[in-house]
Amino acid sequence: MERILVWDLPTRLGHWLLALGFALAWLTAESENLRLVHVAAGGLVVSVVVFRLAWGFVGSTYARFESFVDRPRAAFTYVKSLLGERPAHFTGHNPAGGYAILALLALALLAGITGWINYQDLAGDWLAEMHEAIASAMLAVVVVHLLGVAVGSWRHKENLARAMIDGCKRGRPEEAITSARVAAVITLIVCAVAGTWLLSL
Amino acid sequence: MKLIYPLLLAAIVGSANAETPKQLADAYSSEAATQSAGFKPSGQRGGAFFAKHFAVSERMPACTSCHTEQAAQPGRHAVTGKEIKPMAVAANSERFTDLAKVEKWFRRNCKEVVGRECTAGEKADFIQFAMESR
Repeated sequence: MERILVWDLPTRLGHWLLALGFALAWLTAESENLRLVHVAAGGLVVSVVVFRLAWGFVGSTYARFESFVDRPRAAFTYVKSLLGERPAHFTGHNPAGGYAILALLALALLAGITGWINYQDLAGDWLAEMHEAIASAMLAVVVVHLLGVAVGSWRHKENLARAMIDGCKRGRPEEAITSARVAAVITLIVCAVAGTWLLSL
Repeated sequence: MKLIYPLLLAAIVGSANAETPKQLADAYSSEAATQSAGFKPSGQRGGAFFAKHFAVSERMPACTSCHTEQAAQPGRHAVTGKEIKPMAVAANSERFTDLAKVEKWFRRNCKEVVGRECTAGEKADFIQFAMESR
């Protein structure tokens, strides 16, 4: 098996923008001086998630939800196989990673919505508490996600972080996506810029 | 710090608005008294602290950068321009009624404006000042 193109460009860029947005938001959470950076970072997170939700239906093969959303049992079977002699290899996302993605998208969206409502002073302290709890839960899922990437990379002898940069994973040539969907990056960027601006008002 | 724990626990277990500003000032005062015997909270010291230019942060050199010099009036966030409810208990009955919230905001704002954590004595003085402000 050779390295073939699996992740299109909008999926990869979106991934790193989401990571950047979350990291920035987390690091600026307690600062009043950096409050606008925090709000913009949250806006970026929400914009990227909205794009990703749509991309999950119209993106290339492995970016689509239908390619990685499976029954919970499939995720358990996969995790068990990771501990065994012959871990099951998936060309796209593995089913456990699929659940991490769904959880991250949901928590990112919830964190963004609760944060925006707080910033507009539309709710009381309880929502601020909820915003913090959601963000903490998201950090926990990020940690699980990173552990999954580390264990998966080790067990499959395949650098999964690098795959999210150059888009290539191990697979049969006929499984490769035929285009990196470069043009859709413009949509992602327009979405990110407009969303970050709108949500920072 | 020890004397704060029972109150903190009560704040976490119980609901918000479990405390009165007086109770919080008393708790911080007892804690301060373990450092300097006979500590009594002073609204005057608290007011001076409130107005002091620490100049650690450029845009928020003092508490008053956002809360304004009139503690009974609404403040205005120096960066976002958003309104902040008055610090004075007389103008905002929710002030200093939830220890967890009070601790959270002292921790955050002291770090950024004063450049360090505030002492129990400073907190007691501050609450005393907010109770006396009209």
